[in-house]
Amino acid sequence: MSSFTMTQKTTAAALALAFGAALSVTAAPVSAADKMADMEKCFGVALKGKNDCKAGAGTTCAGTSKIDHQGNAWSMVPAGTCTKTASKTSPTGFGQLVEFKKKKA
Amino acid sequence: MSTQHEFFDALLDPARPIPAGLTTWNGSDPAVRFAVYRNNVIVSLIDALADSYPVAQELVGEEFFRAMARLYVDAEPPRSRVLAFYGTSFPDFIEHFPPAASVPYLSDVARLEMLRVRAYHAAECATLPADAIAQSLADVDQLPTSVIRFHPSVRLLRSQYAAASLWAAHQGIEDIATVDPEVAENVLVMRPHVDVEVIRVSASTADFIARLLDGATLGTAVEQANLADFDLRNTLSLLVQKQLISSITTSRGKQP
Repeated sequence: MSSFTMTQKTTAAALALAFGAALSVTAAPVSAADKMADMEKCFGVALKGKNDCKAGAGTTCAGTSKIDHQGNAWSMVPAGTCTKTASKTSPTGFGQLVEFKKKKA
Repeated sequence: MSTQHEFFDALLDPARPIPAGLTTWNGSDPAVRFAVYRNNVIVSLIDALADSYPVAQELVGEEFFRAMARLYVDAEPPRSRVLAFYGTSFPDFIEHFPPAASVPYLSDVARLEMLRVRAYHAAECATLPADAIAQSLADVDQLPTSVIRFHPSVRLLRSQYAAASLWAAHQGIEDIATVDPEVAENVLVMRPHVDVEVIRVSASTADFIARLLDGATLGTAVEQANLADFDLRNTLSLLVQKQLISSITTSRGKQP
């Protein structure tokens, strides 16, 4: 019983110490409140494609001109950017490099 | 049985005859008109999956993705009218979809994408400012029996693959050439304020947060942590800095 209490005390001390450190790291720079003052919640701005015509479930503005192919294309090899991703089984390690719309900042 | 069920079943299964009693205003063939409706339903659901899983689509290409999505739509028609959450089980489908076996990380990247959608739509919730957290530290002896509640957007993904790095590479944040898909990653997804954030954490930090998410007390979570590679201070710093803690409750009753 007393060893349990010891463990609890050690844990309590470790937690207090770690929390204290965590808080001191955060307290120094721009306080959270200041940061929040620059931002405002903007309601009604949905993720792309989540709130436009496609998102009105069952609405028909999407897809009227598209005829979807029957599901037989999956028998071929996946043809996207996975060929540009590192692969241990690939002789080159990976295909040609990046071709994404890069916006490196 | 009911007309609505008959209509619904016929919509999703082109092998079925069109519902009885359909007529057209100009005498054209109702079967042709119904086929347009069928196609729109299927295509809009495939489009919804493409919207929710853009990186998964980039990984395998549009043709493969849409063919796979079509089979999923056949197998798992929507159960809710909320299109944003349609396809929650799509990652599981991908995981067990034999043609996608050559892209073993695809399902986890898809899981990450759905977690981001979920985090985005999670409830708003005020989180504790630093001084409130400091206050709950006042009684040190209470800490081990305290329970942390997180912002409702907090989600955890444990992946055998580099799901977050692969995802990041497709946002232009990371260079795909430097990503080794075989490296396991633990990913924290959250939306403390406006934007959804994706952060890689160590396995031990993920263990710790997972226990807290399950409702374990701080004491239990610390004692069960693998101390060899667990950094309690960094983990708590992350939770504090990202303002993910919505409450710290002590359970005084349990204290001896």
